[in-house]
Amino acid sequence: MKISDLLRMGLRSLFRRKVRTILTVLGVVIGCLFIIITISIGHGMDKSFETQVKEYGSLTAITVSKYGMIYDENGNWAGSQDQKLDKDLLEKIKAIDHVRAVTPVLSGEGELWSGKYRSGIGIMAMDMASFDDFEFPELVYGEYPTEEDNSTMIFGHYLPWEFYDQYYRSFKQVDLEKDQLVFKFYNWQYKRNERKREFVLPVKNIAKMEETKSNFDYNIYMDIDYFEKIYLQYCNTLTLDDRKKAIKVLDEYQEIRLNVDNIDNVEEVQDKIKELGFQSESLLQFLKPTIEASKTLQLIFFFLGAVSMFVSAISIANTMVMSIYERTKEIGVMKVLGCVVKDIRLLFLFEAGMIGFLGGVTGVGLGYLASYLINKYGQPLFGALMTGGSPMGDVAGATYSIIPLYLPVLGLSISVVVGLLSGYFPARRATKISAIEAMRTEN
Amino acid sequence: MKNKNENIIEVKNAKKIYRMGKEKIVAVDDVSFTVKKGEFCCLYGASGSGKSTLLNLMAGIEKLTGGQIIIKGRNIHRMSEKGLAKFRQNSLGFVFQSYNLLNSMTALENVELPLIFKHMNRKRRRRLARQMLINVGLGDRQKHKPKEMSGGQQQRVGIARAFVSNPEIVFADEPTGNLDSKTSKEVMDIIKNMAKANNQTIVMVTHDKDLAEYADRIIHIFDGRIEEIVDLKKEKAIEQEELEPDQELSDAYIEGGVIPAENPG
Repeated sequence: MKISDLLRMGLRSLFRRKVRTILTVLGVVIGCLFIIITISIGHGMDKSFETQVKEYGSLTAITVSKYGMIYDENGNWAGSQDQKLDKDLLEKIKAIDHVRAVTPVLSGEGELWSGKYRSGIGIMAMDMASFDDFEFPELVYGEYPTEEDNSTMIFGHYLPWEFYDQYYRSFKQVDLEKDQLVFKFYNWQYKRNERKREFVLPVKNIAKMEETKSNFDYNIYMDIDYFEKIYLQYCNTLTLDDRKKAIKVLDEYQEIRLNVDNIDNVEEVQDKIKELGFQSESLLQFLKPTIEASKTLQLIFFFLGAVSMFVSAISIANTMVMSIYERTKEIGVMKVLGCVVKDIRLLFLFEAGMIGFLGGVTGVGLGYLASYLINKYGQPLFGALMTGGSPMGDVAGATYSIIPLYLPVLGLSISVVVGLLSGYFPARRATKISAIEAMRTEN
Repeated sequence: MKNKNENIIEVKNAKKIYRMGKEKIVAVDDVSFTVKKGEFCCLYGASGSGKSTLLNLMAGIEKLTGGQIIIKGRNIHRMSEKGLAKFRQNSLGFVFQSYNLLNSMTALENVELPLIFKHMNRKRRRRLARQMLINVGLGDRQKHKPKEMSGGQQQRVGIARAFVSNPEIVFADEPTGNLDSKTSKEVMDIIKNMAKANNQTIVMVTHDKDLAEYADRIIHIFDGRIEEIVDLKKEKAIEQEELEPDQELSDAYIEGGVIPAENPG
């Protein structure tokens, strides 16, 4: 038989038994739909994690803070402890297995002045060698500090805040690239030595980060060596007593941040740090319950999809077996008229595959519809499920279901393969029927 | 037509034994005969005599228990399933007692069926099938389904289907078994005239003495054995030569065309 004739005959016999074909196809539709929804929600979850992670840092990052929070096994806050983070600890942490990058963090506060207008800022000073490891964003302009010149102040995307003149109570927009700015440390913390000139640092070397919608957007970053340098300059302007106090600040870091080579090793490294007597925090620790919940959810969906696919496979097989019973005589006649066994098998396989294909196409179509509806109206259900256990709250405008391009192809292929597999044995059976027996059956 | 006396079918010691539980039933018992090319051969016998089984053995539908059946020099029971299917496509036609038309298809599509298996293109096989239906007098019934036609009409569709691929041999198993005597006669005339026109060999099974008279040769079967072989050809030879075969065929077309439609069922 020619392929075109095969198709025509197959379609004809499917069409002849419309109701049965539709019911069988329906089974495949449900199976395919479930599989598509499952995977699309999986992608939606991944995406929402990605945005969350982007907002709060990398999943492989661990932070050891000066004020260590203590959590019990369930992730509930159980107290806090003061931690002394010094160079000694830094070296110990560096020695832990799987630690990819470590940086001390010194934070400072100060103000920027533009004429009479001022604006407060926070500074995070880190080892510039580790910027790459902590995934510092691209710059809009300026350059990251280098060995030759480490004096760059890297502004977060939302910085600087508005400049304000407290006497005239007026605001001023400042153009970082054009306006002259100076930086000062706050003057209320320590007493200045009256005989010395106030520490004023002209801000010359500026870079600005791209918008990341993360913590990067709100701080000025700089190299820790440069920070220490200007801080010491500042300390020299202080009274003797306060100078000692101020310099001591440099002995202890506010934070030590580290990056682990693999997400699976985060817990292990955190345990090691605990053995050193320090509390640490990681995003993973907070997200773990959410990740587990969503994995469970996906597993349930996938199980449902698999079960319904299995059921529809049985139903296709049943339909094909029935069809063969009904057409026993037809098969016999075809054989006697010289139809090659291969053609009979192909005919039945085609019919089964076609049922799978029709179900797959409909399932994919409905999958897109379902995905649209979930994103539009699924907020109450999926919103709760996806951010459950996460301290991050809701992600506004989140998509819960994402259908990447490969998914319709996958759904369709699974449906067709299920059709072919469940049609295979009935088709083989059809070819085994003896022509003489077949022709004797009455129908 | 290179050799009129060429043996197209040779049955040598054909034997068929059915096993029903522990019982053995010998349906065909050591039968040997030959059929010549262009011959109309009739297997005649009472029901249960084994004549239908013999036909099925010759057509390769049933497996032999012993012996050989050679058609066109080829031992058909030694062929692969695919080879046999191809052989049927090219050389064999079948007419059945119960017509065995596919109910889901129209008359035209039924006639087309053997050509579909032969990979013939759609246009060509349509034309051949249509012509064949016209030849059997069903030019106006092409689009009808088998259930919408009378027994006689259905059998004529069956005949058209058997002859459409112009096979060298047509096997007919009680082709008129379900028809009344008038229709039977019409059907037999069509079969015979068609076969004569193309020098085709017919092997027909019947239990009807009158129909057996159509044959050139009658092989009487009794209890799975050949009782006697009657050669009618010699007796008929004188009458036959008076009629031109072509003239006879065109008569049949005309006759077929005017046969009134019978009531279905």
